[in-house]
Amino acid sequence: MKHDTRIVLLLVTAVAIAVAAQESKPKPPAAADWAALAKLPDLTGVWEAPTVGRGGRGPAAAPPPVPQLTPAYAAKKRELDARNFDDTDAANCLPTGMPAIMGHPYPYEFLLTPGKVTIVSEAYMQVRHVYTDGRPLPADPDPTFNGTSIGRWDRDTLVVETIGFSPLTTIARNTPHSDKMRTSERFRLTGPDTMSVETTVIDPEALAKPWTTTRTLARHRDWTIREYICEENNRNFLDAQGKAGVKLDAPAKKE
Amino acid sequence: MRPIARATGRALFFTAMICGVTALAWSHHAAAPVFDMNAEKTVIGVVKQVDWTNPHIWIWLDVQNASGQVETWGFEGMSPNFLARRGWTRTSLLPGTRITVTFRPLRDGKAGGMFMTGKLGDGKVLTSAGAE
Repeated sequence: MKHDTRIVLLLVTAVAIAVAAQESKPKPPAAADWAALAKLPDLTGVWEAPTVGRGGRGPAAAPPPVPQLTPAYAAKKRELDARNFDDTDAANCLPTGMPAIMGHPYPYEFLLTPGKVTIVSEAYMQVRHVYTDGRPLPADPDPTFNGTSIGRWDRDTLVVETIGFSPLTTIARNTPHSDKMRTSERFRLTGPDTMSVETTVIDPEALAKPWTTTRTLARHRDWTIREYICEENNRNFLDAQGKAGVKLDAPAKKE
Repeated sequence: MRPIARATGRALFFTAMICGVTALAWSHHAAAPVFDMNAEKTVIGVVKQVDWTNPHIWIWLDVQNASGQVETWGFEGMSPNFLARRGWTRTSLLPGTRITVTFRPLRDGKAGGMFMTGKLGDGKVLTSAGAE
């Protein structure tokens, strides 16, 4: 009898685990999920910021607000500024990560699929995966360059929350972040082919107050995203002492 | 577009590239530490090779120096991605073409700089902001 009870308990537990696993497994998208996409604001396509001087296409932008740092992080920034590095490791082809990834003078392609928005950044061939299937942000994700993102639709606006950033990324130049940094972005169509991107960086340890910047992107229906292999022929460099330079050795011979 | 407006546009663009690192905008590299952004020089030569590559195109020009020897100069342009959307193609500049290049010189004094414009014999001008 005692033996039978144990078997029954084991079976019940096994069934419970199987049911739980079934429940947490994402469902494959149904036809209705694809159809529902048509009701969302159409963010799809290739977008680029018409920044100043790009062949005279864009107006001169007002200087963006500067992040207000806490005394401890202002001291860290002063220390980094004093090293007087010519440039950042982007010159060595290291991608910038969030939030700078969204500030490139290169286009982005937005893709909407059931439960997900994918943002392809041409510069450095980066991809951001924004899950809109209702999942919560993980409690303690591994730190990454672009962080871990979830999104939700607030009426006409895609709101993206991101946490978990690599210490190799910064808020701005010479401005490190703490492991408490999070970003909140609001993507909203402002015209047939214009989109406003409002980015707020929150970091109670590094920032005295949240830092918000807004960028406008223009859609180019006739553009496609091109390949961008930074290491293909990168002649720029930043050495360990922070000196920037250009390798001007003879180019490889071509047939 | 008028030449002055175009030149201003270019200046603003490169200013944006330099200042970009303090804001969200962030390019591949800062220009000012390696190129003298306040200087503009001109050199005439024959295209030896064009590297239509990321993150920047490189234009290699054979230039005859004062003593009659040929030196190869290197000029960094924008990315092929940027330029291809603005009228350039990978065959816009072919080897053997004689051009006048205006550029921001390298700070270390070596033979090269940041490509600004290339004027071809037929009057066609290729600029860092796009082709005409």
